[in-house]
Amino acid sequence: MTNREKYVQAFVEGLEINADQTEGLAYEAIPEWDSVGHMNLIGCLEEAFDIMMETDDIIELNSFEKGIEILKKYGITIA
Amino acid sequence: MLEINKRIARTWSRFGLMGAISAVGILDMCKTNPNICLVSADTSGLDRFKNTYPDNYYSVGIAEQNMIGVSAGLASEGNCVFATAYASFLTSRAHEFIRQNLGYLQYNVKLLGFSSGVAAGTSGVAHWSIDDLALMRAIPGLIVLSPADAVEAVKMVEKVAEVSCPAYIKLSGGKNSPIVYEDDYDFQIGKAVTLREGADAAIIATGLLVKDALDASELLQEEGISCTVIDMHTIKPLDHALLDRVFETHSLVVTVEEHSIIGGLGGAVAEYKATKECAPRQIFMGITDEFKKTGTRDYILGQYGLNANGIAKTIQNNLK
Repeated sequence: MTNREKYVQAFVEGLEINADQTEGLAYEAIPEWDSVGHMNLIGCLEEAFDIMMETDDIIELNSFEKGIEILKKYGITIA
Repeated sequence: MLEINKRIARTWSRFGLMGAISAVGILDMCKTNPNICLVSADTSGLDRFKNTYPDNYYSVGIAEQNMIGVSAGLASEGNCVFATAYASFLTSRAHEFIRQNLGYLQYNVKLLGFSSGVAAGTSGVAHWSIDDLALMRAIPGLIVLSPADAVEAVKMVEKVAEVSCPAYIKLSGGKNSPIVYEDDYDFQIGKAVTLREGADAAIIATGLLVKDALDASELLQEEGISCTVIDMHTIKPLDHALLDRVFETHSLVVTVEEHSIIGGLGGAVAEYKATKECAPRQIFMGITDEFKKTGTRDYILGQYGLNANGIAKTIQNNLK
């Protein structure tokens, strides 16, 4: 699986949505991405990329695109 | 039954005990049981439940006594009711209502006392819930529970929903609660979990301090002292069979709780131990009989020696 596929899959699994909903998605834009969904998403991202995210990054990750930017800090490039 | 693994345990720990129960445990139960109700006395953080099952959610405002009456009424119509409020106010202000409606009349209401212990210490001593186990334990007919982490809290509500009788669940800490269980295990009400076997002392802990007890046993192991560590998640009914084995095989028992040393886990264990002809010495670790300075949870507990270092030091000093 490519990093992008893993990234999308984390959103699909964490938020229980479809892959075609992920591009441009933002926190609280859909009911599934509430505070509970957010923590599920973080858990899926951490497992997918074998990382432990810092609290500030967890809070700042408020969109699909922002997540890509944040993951660079952890050495993960989403092409 | 919900899946449990390392990732899920970490995610639920971020929710904290109350968050995991409301956003996962009770929410999941509602998928198959339309008679589950969640009643809140102005509790925040229940949006997921409220939005998903608005017809199963009731908020009575900051009115704990009224909440018990409302919950009893809902239970009288055949519902399985979870009622939540700050543990300090739930168990003290609404005590009489719990005693009459739940203890005596046995309405099927499960009480969720969040911010129990000293989790809300920064709000002042009024928010310390250090007597809830004592208050609830003394009510006949009430099951009294105290989970060690978010995974156990979720498993606990699943099990307690299967029995049609009232219960109190002590929920300490806030978000980012410690993790004791990373895999699924067999949880049964009234059956304590032995997390570690040792020979020199038995640490019987409850609530979030189970993790500190485990960490203390690691510190003690480095000093050549081996401890049994037990997660006593059910305060009433107490696991007498396990305690019998512990009393026979250990010369020192240490009870650890985020609660007064009077009337809680320590008291429950001591009451049972007193019925035995030969029983080991017991050290009571908890909130001693004085209000020390308030502050964050870690600060308050540190004052009472209720952390891994404090537990280890106490045991080491008593084994000399």
